[in-house]
Amino acid sequence: MKTPSSGATVPARDGGFKTRPIERLRRGFPAIFLVILVIVFTTMSQRFLSLDNLSTVLEQGTVLLVASLGASFIIMAGSIDISVGSIVAVSALTAALTADTMGAFAIVPAVLVGALCGCLNGLLVAVGKVPSFVATLGTQVVFRGLVLYFTKGAPVEIGSDGFLNAYSSVSYGIPHTVMIGLALAVVAWAIFKFTVFGREVLAIGGGERVSILTGIAVTRVKIQMFVLLGALCGMAGLLQGARTMAATSQLGIGLELDVIASVVVGGTPLTGGLGSITNTCLGVLIVTLLSNGMNMAGVDPYLQNIIKGIVLITAVYINIDRKKIGVIK
Amino acid sequence: MLVASGLNKRFGPTIASNDISITLREGTVHAIVGENGAGKSTLLRMLGGAFRPDSGKMTLDNAPYAPQSTFDATHNGVALVHQEITINRSLSVAENIFIGDMRRYAGSFGVLKRKQIAAEAQASLDRIGVKISVNANIDQLNLGELKCIEIARAISSNPKILLLDESTAYLDHREVDAVLRVMQELKSKGMTIGFVSHHLSEVLAVADDLTILKDGQFVGSYRADNIEANEIHRLMVGRDVLQGIYPPHTPLPASTGAPALRVTKAAVGRELNDISLEVRHGEILGIAGLKGAGAEALFAGIVGDEPMRDGDLQLDGKDYHPTNPRAAWQHGIAHLPGDRGNEGLIVSFSVLDNLVMARPPAVGPFFSMARARAMSKDLIKQIGIRASSAEAPCQSLSGGNMQKVVLGKCLAVAPGLLLLNNPTRGVDVGAREEIYRIMRQKTSEGLAILLSSEDMPELIGMADRLVVLRRGEIVHEFDTLGNVQEHDIVQYMI
Repeated sequence: MKTPSSGATVPARDGGFKTRPIERLRRGFPAIFLVILVIVFTTMSQRFLSLDNLSTVLEQGTVLLVASLGASFIIMAGSIDISVGSIVAVSALTAALTADTMGAFAIVPAVLVGALCGCLNGLLVAVGKVPSFVATLGTQVVFRGLVLYFTKGAPVEIGSDGFLNAYSSVSYGIPHTVMIGLALAVVAWAIFKFTVFGREVLAIGGGERVSILTGIAVTRVKIQMFVLLGALCGMAGLLQGARTMAATSQLGIGLELDVIASVVVGGTPLTGGLGSITNTCLGVLIVTLLSNGMNMAGVDPYLQNIIKGIVLITAVYINIDRKKIGVIK
Repeated sequence: MLVASGLNKRFGPTIASNDISITLREGTVHAIVGENGAGKSTLLRMLGGAFRPDSGKMTLDNAPYAPQSTFDATHNGVALVHQEITINRSLSVAENIFIGDMRRYAGSFGVLKRKQIAAEAQASLDRIGVKISVNANIDQLNLGELKCIEIARAISSNPKILLLDESTAYLDHREVDAVLRVMQELKSKGMTIGFVSHHLSEVLAVADDLTILKDGQFVGSYRADNIEANEIHRLMVGRDVLQGIYPPHTPLPASTGAPALRVTKAAVGRELNDISLEVRHGEILGIAGLKGAGAEALFAGIVGDEPMRDGDLQLDGKDYHPTNPRAAWQHGIAHLPGDRGNEGLIVSFSVLDNLVMARPPAVGPFFSMARARAMSKDLIKQIGIRASSAEAPCQSLSGGNMQKVVLGKCLAVAPGLLLLNNPTRGVDVGAREEIYRIMRQKTSEGLAILLSSEDMPELIGMADRLVVLRRGEIVHEFDTLGNVQEHDIVQYMI
């Protein structure tokens, strides 16, 4: 414990507060779990720990990472967004449609459209007071429908050299998508850790009524966090488009589940009020390594989803502070 | 007769009960009093089987008694009513009374025998002498009536001994009276009652015996007739409080205090109709009234938590139209809500996090941890918050210290007007005195305080002026409280 209160005149009577060993274990769990996964997969496949494969893991995990960064804010505030995959698809389509004329600058419409989708979610939740699960369940279908309507189900290819040079090439041996993903992680980490906005998000998750009565602009903060998630999903869509060099109507289906799994496995409870961006990064690594490792180890693909589900539930079972379980707003 | 001797109980490093002994005499009411954290509830729970003592002996009617659970205790004829209201609002009154034993009333195919359960529930209610019908709509009952239903639940098992834990802490006057009447009724029927209480007046009203605890230690057991309120206070706190716990007034001349807030014909929600009042800088305006009389609605209107149906507000002479609590805080109005756990502070957050929540120190969009540390260090010292560090989570603090954190959060914004809703509810005497000291100090520096409280001595001791609300209207105003007695105020409330 740090003790910055050198208020020596104040005798410490209450709050003889110590972190219990079990609590410390629970907090360190995501990291421990990651180490266990690495050890298991290393013994199962020699190539798992190779530089080549680790770079693949990063590439595979980038889209999930970028979307999960945004979702962390939502979940830490005690809300949820299940329209993530659809926003990614809308943004990827926007990028694909504008790449020919705008080249690398297709990032602007892609992120803007993502932010707009997020803004709609935010307005529904914060102003319309529709529970976030229901609101984003609806917009998930609407956004996906938009993609289907405009593509009629056919993929839109991205052929712009300017776009592909900027987003899907490799410099110094590192794919640009990975660099962008890591840079965004640092930005999200800084936003969460150093801004008033980050603290307000946590406060809303810790106690929405308290936050309202204490004068936190809860409505504004909620809209902001949904816009932030939307914009990050815009980036995720752009990066996904760059990886596959096309936008398809199927892109990002089911992504929201991996996103929620990553955040929760990282140790952030769905009820909010607790968590960090570093936790989410660990969670993304765990979810990505699990898929990659099973492939490397040659696990029957038809068995993989079953194992994945069991592992995630086990992780959360050990991980979650049961006192914190409540209702998702 | 229940006799316990040498009871010890530790929770980690905390000694909650150190060699405590108590005797509940047959057919008497025995009060257990002490400050928060003195070990009252721990003692009661050990007697009622909810906790098992680490060591010590208990006998019930001279037979060894070592309950393994509350269920076991009930079996032995000792029933415990918990501190919290545990009524399930989606069940009927009768179902709530028999909730622990519902299967006994299951007919064929598990269908509940409604008539039988209702009849037996009504018998339990009649036995404790309350006028509650089992057919009553549970949403329309007040907390006192709910507490009575819990007592009915406890005595439905026909106990010899009833243990009530701080049963009146959250009740208002009328409700407390109802519970006290039930206790007297049960006593007249020969039941032995042990109860934990914060309010000395109610202790002296019904108790035959009382046991005083302090910091987990046994101070003494007394016959209620042989001890004075001041003496009890002194033994509880461990120092002399003969001059009372309220710091003396430092009245400002009426002309110097500029009006801080003027409320004109305000109407808010269903509770508050047409109220006009004024609070000046440097004074405490007390608001008395039963729950639902309008004080909470008035506060909600002033802080913008509920829209005003009608009327005007003027803050420091300027029109003021709050649209949400944020606007109120920005206008220099701080608000300490009545429900500490759900509205006052986030208990899982640290002391520092809560203290700076209303106005986080920032440079542009960035939170300044250095300034937040300095700020919270100042507040912790100024208000006397006893925490192991600014980083300690609030849930590790006592109720009194949590309330000081909420008060600190309010003072952190240097408000011009402070709204206090029952600031010392569930707060021990020591912390109360500090809260009162700060209220006085801040008013002498020009702060205006609106103090709504169900604690009459507190209103009389602290307020400079007082308004009494009944059914959303001001029914009486006291311009000075020098010679006012509790019943003078209460007569207008009911």
